[in-house]
Amino acid sequence: MLTESDLVRYGRQILYPSFGEEGQRKLKESHVVVAGLGGLGTVASVYLACAGIGHITIVDCDFVELSNLNRQILHWEQDIGEKKPLAAARKLTRLNPSIKVTPLFERITEDNVRDIIKGAHTVIDGTDNFETRFILNSACVGAGIPFIHAGIHGLLGEITTIIPGKTPCLACIFPQNPGESGSIPVFGVTPALVAILQVMEAIKLLAGFGDLLAGKMLYFDGETMEFTFVDLIKRPNCSVCGSDRL
Amino acid sequence: MSVKVKIPSLLRQFTNKQEVVEVTAYDALECLKNLTAQFPGLRRWLYDKQGELRPQVHIFINGERASASELLKDGDELLIMLAIAGG
Repeated sequence: MLTESDLVRYGRQILYPSFGEEGQRKLKESHVVVAGLGGLGTVASVYLACAGIGHITIVDCDFVELSNLNRQILHWEQDIGEKKPLAAARKLTRLNPSIKVTPLFERITEDNVRDIIKGAHTVIDGTDNFETRFILNSACVGAGIPFIHAGIHGLLGEITTIIPGKTPCLACIFPQNPGESGSIPVFGVTPALVAILQVMEAIKLLAGFGDLLAGKMLYFDGETMEFTFVDLIKRPNCSVCGSDRL
Repeated sequence: MSVKVKIPSLLRQFTNKQEVVEVTAYDALECLKNLTAQFPGLRRWLYDKQGELRPQVHIFINGERASASELLKDGDELLIMLAIAGG
C-alpha cells in the first residue's frame, strides 16, 4: 500500500505510463540484494533506494579505504576504516527513511550465499571477481532469482540480465573462470554508468514492463562511446543450468 | 575466407589504432592466430604462457557468441571481447 508520502516522493516515476502506482507498489514489496559495495554496488544502492525498493540488503566484507573514493560514492573520507556495509546503510537510510536497509559485513561464500539471497527478488552483481560471481550465479539459478551481472575495467563495461530457466547463466557465458582481479584501472564514471543500467534493469524486471538485457550482453566502451550488443547462447551441457549440473 | 575482425579499443594500441582488421582464415582460431602474427602485441592479451586462448577472450561472429573452432565464411564479422572482472 502506497502512503501519501510515497505518492509525492515517487510521483515523477509514477507518471511513467507503463509503471504507475502498481509499478511503485511492486517496487515497495521487493527485496534486492546488492552483492559488493564498490563502484557498482554503491551507485546501484543509491538508485535502488531512490526508486523505493522496499528492502535492500547490501553485502561486502571490506573496510573503506582512501583509494575507493574516486568511484564508491556512498563512502566518504570520514568513513575510512569503517565497514563498508555499515557506512553505506547509514547514508541510504538517511536518503530514504521509508525503506528497509540490511547491511551484511560478510564475505560471500558457498556456505552463506543461500542465506544471503533467500527471499530476494533480484540480485545485483557489484562484485569485483569472477569467483564470487560464480557462487552467486549458482545460488541464483538454484533459487530461481534473477541475477543482473556487470563488470568494468577502465572505461569498459559489460552487463547482462540472467533469468534462471530462460536465459544463459553466467557459467554458460563463461565456462571457465576468466580470471583478472586485483587493482585494475577505473574511472568512477564507468561503474556509475553500468550500475545505473543495472538498476534500470531491476526496476523493469520487478515492476514487469519493458525489455531486458536477457540473453544479450551489452558492452560499453567509453573511450570510443560504442555500445555493442551481442546474443548469448545457453550451453546445453552447462555445469550450473544445463545437463552437467550437479 | 576473408573476414573483418573488430578490435576492442583496449587492444587497438597493438593494431596501429585500427578498429577493423581484414584477416584470411578458415576458422576463428586460425583467424586469431593470423591476427596475432600480424600484430604480435596482441599475443599476451589473447593467449596464456602455454599458448592457449585465454578464457576471458570471447569471440562473436556476426553478433553471436561462437567457439574458436567455428568455421568462417567470406564477409563474416568477427568481434573480440574481453571479459572484465572489476566492480
